Amino acid sequence: MRRLRAVRPVEVDERGLEVVSFCGHCAMAPAPARQAQPSRVCGHCGLGLVLRATAELAPGQHDPFLVIDTTLSVCAVSAAAEELLGIDETQAVNKHIADFLVPADANAPSAENLLALLVEVAGGSAESRTTVVRPRQEFGVRFNARIGPCGPPHAALLVLT
Amino acid sequence: MFAMRTLKTSEAAALLNVSPNTLRAWERRFGYPKPQRSAGRHRLYTHGEVAALRDALQQGLSISSAVSRAREALSTDTHTLVGALAGFELDRADSAMESALALRSVERSVEEVLLASLGELGERYGTDSAPWAFAARWADGWLRRAQRLAPPPARRLAVLVGDATRNELDADALAVRAFELFCGRSGARVMALPIGGISGLSDVIESLSPDAVVIAGGHVPDDDVALWAYRVRATAGPLPMALFRRTHHGAKVRTTATRILPDQPFGAHRQLLAMIDRRVTHVDDVAALTVLDGDIERREAQA
Repeated sequence: MRRLRAVRPVEVDERGLEVVSFCGHCAMAPAPARQAQPSRVCGHCGLGLVLRATAELAPGQHDPFLVIDTTLSVCAVSAAAEELLGIDETQAVNKHIADFLVPADANAPSAENLLALLVEVAGGSAESRTTVVRPRQEFGVRFNARIGPCGPPHAALLVLT
Repeated sequence: MFAMRTLKTSEAAALLNVSPNTLRAWERRFGYPKPQRSAGRHRLYTHGEVAALRDALQQGLSISSAVSRAREALSTDTHTLVGALAGFELDRADSAMESALALRSVERSVEEVLLASLGELGERYGTDSAPWAFAARWADGWLRRAQRLAPPPARRLAVLVGDATRNELDADALAVRAFELFCGRSGARVMALPIGGISGLSDVIESLSPDAVVIAGGHVPDDDVALWAYRVRATAGPLPMALFRRTHHGAKVRTTATRILPDQPFGAHRQLLAMIDRRVTHVDDVAALTVLDGDIERREAQA
């Protein structure tokens, strides 16, 4: 059963990139639609909306991730990210991403400007990138983060690895 | 005046294109949509809440953000009512309540829109200001009108409310009116009397036969309240007694064997009715035991 669920239906977008669908809460691929009008609500957990991202960016089933909009507000927190960061999606939604994650080394010359990158990606005008982040008010803990576009509507997907 | 479309769980689930289980899971996790209960304890969703969520889900990135957006859409009524009352526009205020009633139950419209708006106006202008007086009088009139339009009492329950508020401009008075309205809509007969009126009180109590007494409001001094309560008990006997919004400078008064009800009128009326129901059940149990005892004695005598 697990192996079957891990297989995601792959589509190709206008740029020729493979795109997959996943739940914004449990990261599972959507179940095959039984209704004439498929629901955007995840049929597995019922607690997330089905989003789309490129196959290389999309989270694995156990990858923690967040979805951020152009105003840098948190729009979704996966179940794994809730556990990892010790936050509750219902409390985190509409709060600024910097309340939870900040660049791991803001002074390093190569450090990405996390917030600018997120705005750019959420606006749909940037490709996927990788950066390093850490939880706010915590030092010595670092996560690699894949950041890229997802939707609909346009938003930035930040996958912690 | 109180037209509100409600949906059963299956209907709401179909509108949102989810399963009824998912809808119940959302209620537990997000507290939204928040159903009322039918007489048979089944969930009843307001169409407005469900429709707002459906629209928000189409543009959302998560259920949480859609719920947040739907709640925001519903809070528009509060903003409209605050604006109407701050602008001394009675017709617009009435319209705002009509809009609120199209999306919510009367109880939720009163708590989430009317009382919330008055609370905001009280904070903004102070409860001794002219805008507050205007708004409070309008709200008092609205609540009394709603009380008159409430369905006739359907239960054999009667509640006597000792009104210890100053007047309709007292910040607690509107909550007390709302509490009376909710009790009335739950099928109880409600009679509110000012605490100051002692004369003829026994006639009223004999006519009403209250199942519970609520002392509501914090303006009247304790001595006067004690005198009134003594008169009530002298006539009606030991009845369950509860306090609603009876605070002095933020501190609750000390009571013995008297229940303090929550400050929110809806929670208070629910707790009061539960208190009365428990008492009625207890009385029934005692009656049943008495019959049982009598039955045993009779059988023993026959033997």
